[in-house]
Parts: sequence; C-alpha cells; structure tokens
Amino acid sequence: MAIPIESSPPPGWDREGIDGLLGLFPPGRLSEIVGPRSSGGSSLLLALIARITTHGQVAYLDGMDALDPASAATAGVDLSALLWVKCGSRLRTALSAADLLARCPGFSLIVLDLDELGPVPFSAQMRLQRAVEDSDAALVVHSARHREGSPASLVVATRRLAPRWMGLHPLIRLGGLRSEVSIARSRLHSSTLSPLGRGQGEGQTWALDWSL
Amino acid sequence: MIRIACLLATTDVAPDPSVQRALLRVALSHSPRVEDAGGGRVYLDASGLHGLFGDEPRLAARLCDMAGAAGLTARVGIAGTRLAALAAARLGPGVTVVDPDGDAAYLAAAPLSLLDLSKDLSARLSRWGLRTLGELAALPTAGLFERLGGEGVRLQRLVRGEDPSPLVSWKPALLFEESVECEWGMETLEPVVERLGELAARVCTRLGERGLAADGWEWVCRLDEGRLHVGALAPAVPMTDGAAVAGLLRLALEARPPRGIVRALTLRARPARITAMQESLTDRSRPSPRLLTATLNRLVGLVGADSIGAPALLDSHRPDAVGLGAYAPLPISPSPGKRAIRGEGRASGNTGALALRRLRPPAPAAVTLTSGRPVALRSSRLSGRIVAGVGPWRSSGEWWSKQAWLQDEWDVELADGTLCRLANDGSAWHLAGIYD
Repeated sequence: MAIPIESSPPPGWDREGIDGLLGLFPPGRLSEIVGPRSSGGSSLLLALIARITTHGQVAYLDGMDALDPASAATAGVDLSALLWVKCGSRLRTALSAADLLARCPGFSLIVLDLDELGPVPFSAQMRLQRAVEDSDAALVVHSARHREGSPASLVVATRRLAPRWMGLHPLIRLGGLRSEVSIARSRLHSSTLSPLGRGQGEGQTWALDWSL
Repeated sequence: MIRIACLLATTDVAPDPSVQRALLRVALSHSPRVEDAGGGRVYLDASGLHGLFGDEPRLAARLCDMAGAAGLTARVGIAGTRLAALAAARLGPGVTVVDPDGDAAYLAAAPLSLLDLSKDLSARLSRWGLRTLGELAALPTAGLFERLGGEGVRLQRLVRGEDPSPLVSWKPALLFEESVECEWGMETLEPVVERLGELAARVCTRLGERGLAADGWEWVCRLDEGRLHVGALAPAVPMTDGAAVAGLLRLALEARPPRGIVRALTLRARPARITAMQESLTDRSRPSPRLLTATLNRLVGLVGADSIGAPALLDSHRPDAVGLGAYAPLPISPSPGKRAIRGEGRASGNTGALALRRLRPPAPAAVTLTSGRPVALRSSRLSGRIVAGVGPWRSSGEWWSKQAWLQDEWDVELADGTLCRLANDGSAWHLAGIYD
C-alpha cells in the first residue's frame, strides 16, 4: 500500500513538539495567532518564519513596526528571504498591503502582524481569505484579540505561563518565557477525525519554552 | 600589411572625456576598427583605406583636419605598429607617416619615456644607462630575459617594431531610446501613459533582439514653455516585457503625474545582460520577477519607498541598529553550511527563541525607583507595578564620535505578567520593547 507523502515527515521531525504545531498552518488558507502581550505569540511567529525561509519567501507586514530583526536572526530566520513592509500603525494600509501580496504568487508565507491594531474587520478577513485561497501561500494574522465568526481555518491561541529567571536572590537575568499554545479552532481536514468531528489538532496544546 | 594610425590630442592638461569621445567619433568616421587607448589617444586601422581617402599622407592630413573641425588640436602618425605610430604623432611635425618596415629605424632615436613604463622599471633602465629605444632594442634578448623576464622581451619586441597584439575594437555604447512628439499636446494622463507604453514596447523589442534586458528606465516629458518632467524607474529585476514595463510606468506616472500639457516624450532604457541560468528543483520558490516588481511598486505607493525591503543588521552594538536593503529574492538556495549556521536558533523540540517586539520610537516612560531598582512603570503603552526585574545592563558605543551613545537596560515583569525592556540613556527612561 502506498504511503501518502504527507504521512512521511522529514528526518528529525517531532510530531509532538513544535514541528507538529508549525506544520499545521495550511497553505492557501487564513490562520490566526491570538494572545495577550508576553504570551509567546511573536516567538511562535518567528519560529514559523524561520521554518519557511529555509525553502521559500516570506512577506512580513508589520502593522506596528515592531519586528526586531536581531530577534528574528536569533530565531533562525534567513533575513534575505524576508520582505519587511512597515505599515506605520495604520490598519487600513496593512490590510491593503496584505491584499496586494496575497495576489502575488510565489510567497510561501504572508504574515500580517497587527498585535494591538487588530482584530481585523470581518469583511477584510473574508477578502483576505478569498485572495489567498488560490495561492500556495499561508496567510497568518497575529493579533491580540480574536473576532468571533472569523473565516480563519486555524486559530492558535497563546497563553503566558511564567517567565524564566536565572538566579534566585538576587535574580541575575531573564532566561526566557514559558507559554502554552493551543489550537482554539481548526477547520483542517484530518484523515482520522475525532469522534466529536473536530478539525485536525483542535484542542491540542503545547507547552513551549522560549529562550532569550 | 597592417598600418595603424594614431590620433593624438595635444592639450596641456589631461583631456576630459568629451575630448576622447570627439577623437573616437573622428576615428570611427574613417575606419571601423578603432582602439580607445585613453588619455587623448586613439588608434585606428589604416589598412586598405587608400581607396576611400587616398594615400596615407592624405589620410593623416584628413584626420587632422576633421579633428580640427571638431574643435580639437590633434597630431597624427601612421606606422606599422602602435608604438611607432605614437612616436610619429608625438615627435613628428604634426602629420607624420613612417615608411613600411621602417618602424624599428624610426623608433631607434625615440626616448624611453615613450613606453608606458612603471616607475621601478624606468629607474632600472635608467641605471643601466639606456636613454633611447634603439639602445633597448640592441640589448641581447637572453640577458634581458634573465633580468626582466617576459616583460623585458615584450618591450624589446615593441621597440624593434614587432607588435603581435591586434587592435582592441571599441564600440559605442548602445542607446536604447525612443521618442515621440505630439504637436497638439496631451492634457490628460491616459494618452501620455499609452504613448509611453508604445515606446516601452519598441525599446523592449530592440533589447530582446540583442538578448538584453533593462534594469533602469528614464523618461522625459517636454511640457509647455520649455519645462521638463523627468522620472526614473528601477525594477526589482531586469525586464524585457513591454506590457509589464508599461504597467510600471503607469503606476509611476499616476503617483507623480506631469504638471502641464505634454508636447513630447522620450523613454530611455539602461541595458543589462541577463545570464541564462538553469532553474533548480532545490531552489527556493520565489515570486515571478514581473509580478513581484509590479507588487513592490504598488506597495511603495502605499507605504513609501523607505518602509519596504529586506531587513539588514547593521555592524553596530547600538540598540535596534537595523536597516532596510533591497529585496531581491535569490534563486540560489543557501549552501548546507550556511543553512546550518542560520538554523542554530531554529525552534526544535519544545523550545525556540524569545522575540522582542520593538517600540519605534521608544515610548517615554516614568519609572519609580526604590533603592536604585525600578518598582513601577507608567507610559502611554504600559503601566503597572514591577514585580521582578534584572539590570542594569550597560551598553555604549561610538564614544569617539559625535554620535556617542550610552544606555542602561532593565528586563522587568509587570504585575499583569507583561515582560518588557526598559532603557535609560542617562537623561530619561524609555520603554524599548515588549517580550512576546
């Protein structure tokens, strides 16, 4: 019996770890990463970008001009494969730019990082979903809040667990952050749907350590 | 038998490029094979021109007259080699023709300075007591080779009237330019864009015929009262697609239209040679150059040219030292070694790198200190009690210049769990970023 390609992850692939989480973001669909400040959302985004820049181009629409390229390089992002568009804290500009890039084939990932500028209006979400559905690009929106009724195929929620400090008395330095990432909603087809009929990965959680 | 003419501009100062261009024009109007030697000197192939311009003295006189008509004072020498022709032009009365096979004899009395020798070699020959080219020609070749190597033998052959190297043919730079005049004038943008599109198609056809593409476009609109509207466009990749170029020109003109009635248009392309390259299955996928260029131009219109590009880390320890470079997706995939280095921080297992979200510019903050440690923060973005913090981490740099900087940084946790970075530059506190 032939084994589907999808079921053969590359060597070193950790299905239970962050590899499995990052592999869920579907091409040609709208996905969301939502979570409050310091919950690991941006770190998750950089991990995803680092994964994609090994084989494709990424467009990063920076709604709040908040990207720190030094952090991105530390996370393993190949900066030469990253198109950085600074939107000057203007939501409409960021949405228009995302619409343009979603219609330009060839990008593997389009990131719309809105943080506190979001959430995206429902009509804009529908337009972005339609723009990206004929392409091979995954469109990921990062915002602080999730809007009910969003057409996103995958909604990933991040939650802060605890910071990690080095040393006790006194504290010496910030070592990192521990956060919980869960699939709040998934409309992805799965070969083996759960008895409740939920999408692939829905309800699954990961406890992740982000190191400084 | 090869005959070479040397056209030499006589100026007291170093000739400017316009003199060289004029000399080349004069030479090209007489012979198709012209070598640009620079420094107000041009060589041309004078063989077989007697049918057109008469014998060699008449050709030399004609060259001299044509240069004079172009506003230059020039001397002409004709001989069998470049060196002899140069000697005839430089040392002769103005128009000099050296007899065929008489190069060596003519050069014998010429000074060594006629050769473009390096300072060291010139000093060495001077120490040997050599003053003329004839004395160099008379030296034993084997001994010269032992002392000066191949360069010595080459020089000796030149002064003996033997120059085996052919003329290096100079060709004028190709100009890809099209113009159109409109006597009745174009008041709206649409006809201007249409005409420019037609010009772009013609230029692209000419570029394609020569296997070239254009990596830059310039246009000039002649307006009423002699005013000019000038614009330029640099696509992300060299292009030969007339329709795509027309689309880009439309976007550029819509962003900055000419203010007035357009009477004439000129479109000029900067040619670039594209190396044909085999695509690889292992290359990164990337957007099509045509679509990418159009998209980038639209994005520039949306966010501005200084807000789009590939992030680049600057060679500085200054906080947030980043720049924006041109975004040009490379077809070549990173080498395995490079990939391994880049992948050092890549997330694996359940760990990854913690991201800092920068605040640009850093938000001014009011920080309450107790025993020198921050205990409360108030700013437009964040406020709250500080429950934990580490610092200060001092960094400084460029103390040797007027852009000296010094900063103390603290990593703190607010009561609501937010992790952020505070900075104090000695005069005020700022909220530099938020860890996320």
